[in-house]
Amino acid sequence: MFEGLTQFFSAIVAVASWSALFTVAWATLLGIAVGMLPGLTATLGLALLTTLTFKLPAGDAILILISMYVGAIYGGSRSAILLNIPGTPANAATSLDGFPLARRGLAGRAMGISTAGSFLGTIIGMIALASFAPLLAEWALSFQSYEFFWLAVFGVVVAGRLTAQGDPLKGWVSGFLGLLVAMVGQEAIYAYPRFAYGVTDLAGGFGLLPVLVGVFGFTEVLWVMKNPAYQAVKDATDSVVPRVREVLQHWVTIIRSGLTGTFMGLIPGVGEDMGSWVSYALARNFSRKPEEYGDGSIEGLMSAETGNSAAVPGAIIPVLTLAVPGSAPAAVLLAALFIHGVRPGPLIMIENPTFVFEVVAMVFFASLAILIYGLALTKPLLLILRVPYLKLMPIIFVLCVVGAYAITSRLFDVWVMLGFGVLGFFLRQVGFPMAPLVLGVVLGPILDVNLRRGLVLSDGDLTPFFTRPISAGLWILIAITFLLGSDWFVGRMRKLGRRFSPQRSEDDTK
Amino acid sequence: MARTDLATSLILIALGLGVLAESLRMPRYESLGINPYTVPGIVPGALGVILALFGAIMLVRTLRTRGAAQAAPPPSAEAHPVRLALAIAATLGYGFVLVGWLPFRWATFLFVTGFIVLFESRARQRTRSIARIVGFAVVEGAVVALAVGFVFERIFLVRLP
Repeated sequence: MFEGLTQFFSAIVAVASWSALFTVAWATLLGIAVGMLPGLTATLGLALLTTLTFKLPAGDAILILISMYVGAIYGGSRSAILLNIPGTPANAATSLDGFPLARRGLAGRAMGISTAGSFLGTIIGMIALASFAPLLAEWALSFQSYEFFWLAVFGVVVAGRLTAQGDPLKGWVSGFLGLLVAMVGQEAIYAYPRFAYGVTDLAGGFGLLPVLVGVFGFTEVLWVMKNPAYQAVKDATDSVVPRVREVLQHWVTIIRSGLTGTFMGLIPGVGEDMGSWVSYALARNFSRKPEEYGDGSIEGLMSAETGNSAAVPGAIIPVLTLAVPGSAPAAVLLAALFIHGVRPGPLIMIENPTFVFEVVAMVFFASLAILIYGLALTKPLLLILRVPYLKLMPIIFVLCVVGAYAITSRLFDVWVMLGFGVLGFFLRQVGFPMAPLVLGVVLGPILDVNLRRGLVLSDGDLTPFFTRPISAGLWILIAITFLLGSDWFVGRMRKLGRRFSPQRSEDDTK
Repeated sequence: MARTDLATSLILIALGLGVLAESLRMPRYESLGINPYTVPGIVPGALGVILALFGAIMLVRTLRTRGAAQAAPPPSAEAHPVRLALAIAATLGYGFVLVGWLPFRWATFLFVTGFIVLFESRARQRTRSIARIVGFAVVEGAVVALAVGFVFERIFLVRLP
């Protein structure tokens, strides 16, 4: 414990330089702007910044990306409160109570609560990151190919289940499509170019960043163009400084939502959206005034914002320790770590022991920045929402094109971005979530190599995949997730439940 | 939704089976004496089967609920299909044709200017005359093209298409 604290403070000292603080200042502000603007999500912001920063030293680039990530998830709350349009999908629950508050003329108070919630949520997630990441990395050292295979399947199945609203099948289809996309190109054992048909570009495979920029950037541009224009906002006239008493009053909600958010972030591919929704649902269940939820509940707003911000450090935990992303923006962060030569995974505490605490320090600085900006820059930040979206969309699209091209300088990557953008738009239109697809693209190579390596180790015997303790835990969780998501199974269980319910037995005896 | 689900399920089944067939055609390197469990086609083949299975489940589900399903909901009055089609055409035109064919700054200038003129002149609550819209759009397009070019090329040292 004390060793962890010492390492945290040494990391703070190591990271804190004037140039680093300046970097945190501009990158978090840019993140808030990106988060506020409907059409620009945290994932896209991170993807574009990854392409911009790949020539910078690793430490600077990662600091920029983490500041952008923390800033964007917080910034999305502004448009959720003021426009009733969540700036990023993670802020959807925020708009439920934030917008009614704004309509009552309490926009400033709502923004103050969201700032406090985001700051405290990030701090709770950060403490979890500092405490659990080293433990998880040590535990993951016992993972072999069998466990990594199941972990990849687990990620896709759970992300598919949790991100598809009401229809898990579509989430799973999306996730497995992502895995299939990852199969295109040379495979890692014999370098056989799968599905390449002699095309050199296809043999290189689809890059993660062009795919991401396509489904989170171009798709979003088309989505905004399809839907009606949003109305510009009025001013927030009341004070944005939250009352300390109001924040302290909700300490149980803050801690619960912080822990829930962190946990949702930790689960591969689930991330901030679910961190926010699950925290919100739990807060309502435990609330003394559940009837206020959806009608401007301070507690509801606090839980949603604490939950999504806590999920940010939560999602970074598996990135660092397992090389598996906890959310879509974290997938970009993972790609960026690889680009910069940091090798995330179970060996990180051995190969690069100070890095985890440096990331913790970076999250800490970014959370301080959102607190300061949130309280000090209310009016200037409102200007961002005044940018007419018809002028903004072509600029975002130009950035998507440049971002897709920048890393490898191939026009093919621009075409991949365009193709996946259109595909993503139509899939989203018919109810397929995008996050599992992206997670599938990241996890595809892990699944592919580890399944085959595991089969070699066991000489074709499938038993170790099912009997090793961690593997068994993972496949049982996967099976439960599948069963609970299947209409057939749930229907059967309900029928069975009714048959054995006391009400029914009494009816039968009559 | 039922009709799109039906189409999606059929596409999924076709895709899954197609992937399976392609995976079976992948080399098995028997002459190299490799471990048969590591052949390149094994994982894509399995994914093909799973996707076809998901497609089949979706097909059965859609056909079962089809009788019960009501008529398709009327298209939302707020959605803009024409605007969407124009946006797709403009963006794809820029990405596939203009970029690579013209120098980046010219391509970007034409795209941004064209996009703003196209959509602002179509907007219902238009407050400016067409000439003013075009005038502003030309300036905005030039600023974006020059600024993006400068920031990416000079500050971040990234190559432009």
